[in-house]
Amino acid sequence: MTSISDQIVFIVDDDPRVREALAELLQAHGVRSVTYASAGEYMRADKPDLPASLILDVELPDINGLELQNQVAGAYHPPIIFITGHGDIPSSVRAIKRGAIDFLTKPFSDDALLTAVSAALKQDRDARRERDEIALLQRRYDTLTPRERQVLPLVVSGLLNKQAAAELGVSEVMLQVHRRNVMQKMTVTSLADLVRVAEKLQIPIVHSRRGARDDR
Amino acid sequence: MDSAFVGFVSVWPTVALIGLMAPVAVLFLFSRGGMVVLLNLGLAFGVAASLSVALLNSGEAAAARDGAIAVAVFFVTALCVGAIVVSGKSLSAAAATQLAAASGLGRSNAVMPSEFAEASVAGSNGTMIDIDLYKRTEAALRERESELFQLVDMIPSHVWRLTPDGEPAFFNKRMVEYLGVDVGGMAKTGVTRLEVLLGFVHPEDATEFKDALNRSIQTGGPFSLRYRLRRSDGAYRWMSTRAEPLRDGSGRILQWFGLCHDIDDQMRLYSELEEREARIRRLVDSDIIGIVIWDLDGRIIDANDSFLLTVGYDREDLQAGLRWYDMTPPEWQAEHTRYEAEELKGTGKMQPREKEFFRKDGTRVPVLIGAACFEGQSSQGVAYILDLSERKRAEAALRDRESELAQLVDMLPVYIRRLTPEGEPVFFNKRLTDFIGVGLMDIRATEASRLAPAIDDFVHPDEAAQVMGTLRRAVTTGEDYIMRYRMRGADGVYRWIETRAEPLRNQDGTIAQWYSVSLDIDDEVRAQAALRERERELSQLVDIVPVHIRRLTPEGDPVFFNKRLIDFLGMAVADLDRMGLERPAAAMQALVHPDDLPHVREVVRQSLAAGEPYAMKYRIRRADGSYRWVDGRAEPVRDESGAISQWYSVSFDIDDQVHAQEALRERERLLGQMVESLPALIFCAAPNGEPTYRSRQLQEFLGFNVNDRVAPDGSRLTGTLDFVIHPDDLATVKEQYAHSLSTGEPYALRHRLRRADGEYRWVETRAAPMRNANGEIVQWNAICLDIEDQVRAQDELRLAREKMARASQAASLAELSASIAHEINQPLAAVVANSYACRRWLTLEPPNLDRAQKTVERIIRDANSASDVVNGIRALFKSSTDARVSTTVAHIIADAADLMAEEARRHRVRMNVEVEPEMPVMTLDRVQLQQVLINLMRNGMEAMEAGADPKLISVRAFKRGAVIQVNVRDQGSGVASPDKIFDPFFTTKKDGMGMGLAVCRSIVESHGGKLSVESNEGGGATFVFTLPIGLKQ
Repeated sequence: MTSISDQIVFIVDDDPRVREALAELLQAHGVRSVTYASAGEYMRADKPDLPASLILDVELPDINGLELQNQVAGAYHPPIIFITGHGDIPSSVRAIKRGAIDFLTKPFSDDALLTAVSAALKQDRDARRERDEIALLQRRYDTLTPRERQVLPLVVSGLLNKQAAAELGVSEVMLQVHRRNVMQKMTVTSLADLVRVAEKLQIPIVHSRRGARDDR
Repeated sequence: MDSAFVGFVSVWPTVALIGLMAPVAVLFLFSRGGMVVLLNLGLAFGVAASLSVALLNSGEAAAARDGAIAVAVFFVTALCVGAIVVSGKSLSAAAATQLAAASGLGRSNAVMPSEFAEASVAGSNGTMIDIDLYKRTEAALRERESELFQLVDMIPSHVWRLTPDGEPAFFNKRMVEYLGVDVGGMAKTGVTRLEVLLGFVHPEDATEFKDALNRSIQTGGPFSLRYRLRRSDGAYRWMSTRAEPLRDGSGRILQWFGLCHDIDDQMRLYSELEEREARIRRLVDSDIIGIVIWDLDGRIIDANDSFLLTVGYDREDLQAGLRWYDMTPPEWQAEHTRYEAEELKGTGKMQPREKEFFRKDGTRVPVLIGAACFEGQSSQGVAYILDLSERKRAEAALRDRESELAQLVDMLPVYIRRLTPEGEPVFFNKRLTDFIGVGLMDIRATEASRLAPAIDDFVHPDEAAQVMGTLRRAVTTGEDYIMRYRMRGADGVYRWIETRAEPLRNQDGTIAQWYSVSLDIDDEVRAQAALRERERELSQLVDIVPVHIRRLTPEGDPVFFNKRLIDFLGMAVADLDRMGLERPAAAMQALVHPDDLPHVREVVRQSLAAGEPYAMKYRIRRADGSYRWVDGRAEPVRDESGAISQWYSVSFDIDDQVHAQEALRERERLLGQMVESLPALIFCAAPNGEPTYRSRQLQEFLGFNVNDRVAPDGSRLTGTLDFVIHPDDLATVKEQYAHSLSTGEPYALRHRLRRADGEYRWVETRAAPMRNANGEIVQWNAICLDIEDQVRAQDELRLAREKMARASQAASLAELSASIAHEINQPLAAVVANSYACRRWLTLEPPNLDRAQKTVERIIRDANSASDVVNGIRALFKSSTDARVSTTVAHIIADAADLMAEEARRHRVRMNVEVEPEMPVMTLDRVQLQQVLINLMRNGMEAMEAGADPKLISVRAFKRGAVIQVNVRDQGSGVASPDKIFDPFFTTKKDGMGMGLAVCRSIVESHGGKLSVESNEGGGATFVFTLPIGLKQ
């Protein structure tokens, strides 16, 4: 395990012994951690904006771990690794289905934990990267003029310049100008890249040739 | 003026004398100065004449007459003298000159004011004739002696001559004839002739005569006197004598010559004139009228005091010179100068007229002035001035009074009429015309009479005939009358009036006028009617009010009973008398209840004696013989002097009331007793919270009463609360209490209350407000229930519940195992994690021995705590017999039932517990057996869950031989496999672990008993367990 300093693991368990031990274990493996005694404490705390993962006890005093998973489900959240004193299958299945990295029962092996942590952190890093990238793309997209925003989907849908221009009611030359601008602003050099960007930004593909006929 | 007039009037004799004397002078002076004398005579005559005229004009006819007579006499005398003179005698020049000078001197005795100098020529009383000449011409005279003798005897005067020592020497013929005796005849022996002569003088004048004569003789001064001289016929006549001495060249007196003139007539005249003068003077002096002698040139020559007073001047001013003109106001001046003067000149008089004069002080005075010129001339005259100030004032006052009177007639609030003797109205005063709205003259007249129409139009028809009749009768009989009738006002409303009329009679008794006066008595009449009505009502009231009313004399004898009292007693005052009960004592004796009699007697006696009202309750016998309680009060009525005129007594039947009160008191007593006997602590408080009453039990509980605890601020409430409420509860209690007091909401609070012995006991205090009819709170009533036991029981219940809960929890294997797992897993997980960490630390290059050490220590720690957990759990399940106590199954069942009560309610399950009485005491684990029962009950409830109501669990416990048997029966779905259900992990429940019944069986068996189950006929199951009675450990 590479000890990367720009990552962190959150530990939430009501048993101080467990918290302590887990923190110790992670540190031994060079992983920084922060511990919390309850879900509420964790939620309220200011957490550093680093690639992170959450080791979450199911049996918690205020709200249990599964409930917490539900609550953070909608927005971005570091991947969760559940731990429990007594696990029941339905709970674990539910947890995993909802995106937990792993569901470990106490006592668990260090391997299991560290693997999960590693995976979680990686996932988070990737996710964050992806997120940042999209954010960047989004910022770039925001610099597009309305016209350009109109041009973009037409272009990525595979329409010829001529067709696109006709769709917009502008001249082909104008369209080319717009297209060039779009490419420039989105910092892509090829149509293929643009398409990928559009996909990332989830810009709806509209007015494809095929679609134009089929969509009626 | 007076003196002037005196002078004038007294001049008559003088004038006459002069008239006589003058001719004597004339006699001597005719040849020389006779004309002068005649002139004087004429002047004198003229004055006399004019004076007489004035007197005539002034109405003094008598005086004027006398004056005229005097003048005539004078004139005749003068003529006679003149005749004599004419007969040829002449006088020597010297004598004539002398006499002329002498007569020219003419000084009178009377003081003549200088103003009258011109007219006073002849006005002298005592003209002195200078006979010096005579003396000087003695010789010449002798020649004429015989002529003179003739003369002397002829002149109608007495001439006499006396010797120088006063002896009469010669009487002239006239004198002799008068006296009736000659000089010679007077010679008597031993008596002088003078004395004889004196005898002829009136006794009253004799002395004076003698003295004067003697004086003259001795002094040689002239003698003049008036006296009465006896005539030959014995009558006395007034004489005026003048005598002068004849002197020789050396001045020695040779003879006395005297002239004596009969002035009797003149004297009479004089005295009459004096009288008249006095009368006139009276007019002048009386100051009833101002009299003025005026001159036409404007001077006021003389004025009387009255005039001066009228015009405010004094005599000095008059003497200094007053002028008419100055006194006449400007507006009159023209008239004065012109018309008055004309009139005077023309007619000699000025008719009386009203004028005004200026007073000295400049104020005006109204006067009536009339004037007349002196006879024969128009430049001087007399005027009278009557000061009209008073009259004017009187006139003005009269006018005022007149107008006042007229006002009065119109202002008085009475109607005034004047009728002719025939009854015809001729005057209505303003009030009347205002009232009827019509003036007298506007009333229609029939046959020139307004009387009948007036009555028809204005008198009420009901009284009209009577009014007319009365009037006619009055007119006929002349009797005054009074009548009452209604008169119609201008507004058409009839009002009662009372009219009185009286005739005004002339001196002869006939009726001159009828005067009638009417007063509006309408209000009175109505008031009287109202009064009568009220009286009637009042007397009705007296009889109707449900009260007995009595009136008594000051001594207490009844004189009046109202109807109610009469009905009540069955007798009236008269009956009392008849029955011999007229004395109050006797009446009381008969009517008042014997037990109350002494008290009543005493009170009445005191009251009558002191004149003080009384009020008392006593029993009095009703007509039917029964005694009724009455409340009697009496008060005296006093007259103006403060003495009691009568007693009014009122009593009302309070019998029912009294009985009701008694009943009430009895109920109250019972109620009080009840309150005291209740096993509750009761207290009452005023609306402000102050304690007013504590039941005896509360007092005993607290150890003090209502007034015993007072806070520094004087509040008994605060004092009490502070003392008796547990400190921890005090704030809440005060707050709640205050809230209730202010809002009126009932108060209910549990708190600790300090008992008299100092111990705090839990009580539930409930207080409710008591309201009056208006909804206002009049009192708070509260009760304190001792809930100590309850609270303790509840506490125990709670504790037991908690214990049960814990125990239940503990008994629930599923949960138990989960919790075990959890409890053990936690430390184990920590141990494992720490172990991994340790290994890691040790396998690092270089190994981190410190951290490894740390982790190892944690491992040890956590492993131990895991071990503790296990031990703890085991302890939880250890059926140690130390937990067993001596108790009965009844208690355990009761506790279990209590604990399950809530759950049963929730499941809508009724629990029926039947425990045989007198359960034996056994040594049992209460908690465990409780758990068994609870488990069985719960199972029963769960079994009936799906079933229909009513759900019933019945628990029965009874002795059966050597064991106690407990049956827990339900109506549920029943038990399919009665054997298997006690096996561990056997469960028919969806989410159960199946440990419950196994545990129960093990508990029961550990007590030496057995647990089994049976199916019920009719559905459900009955769990049965037994416990050996003799089990003792």
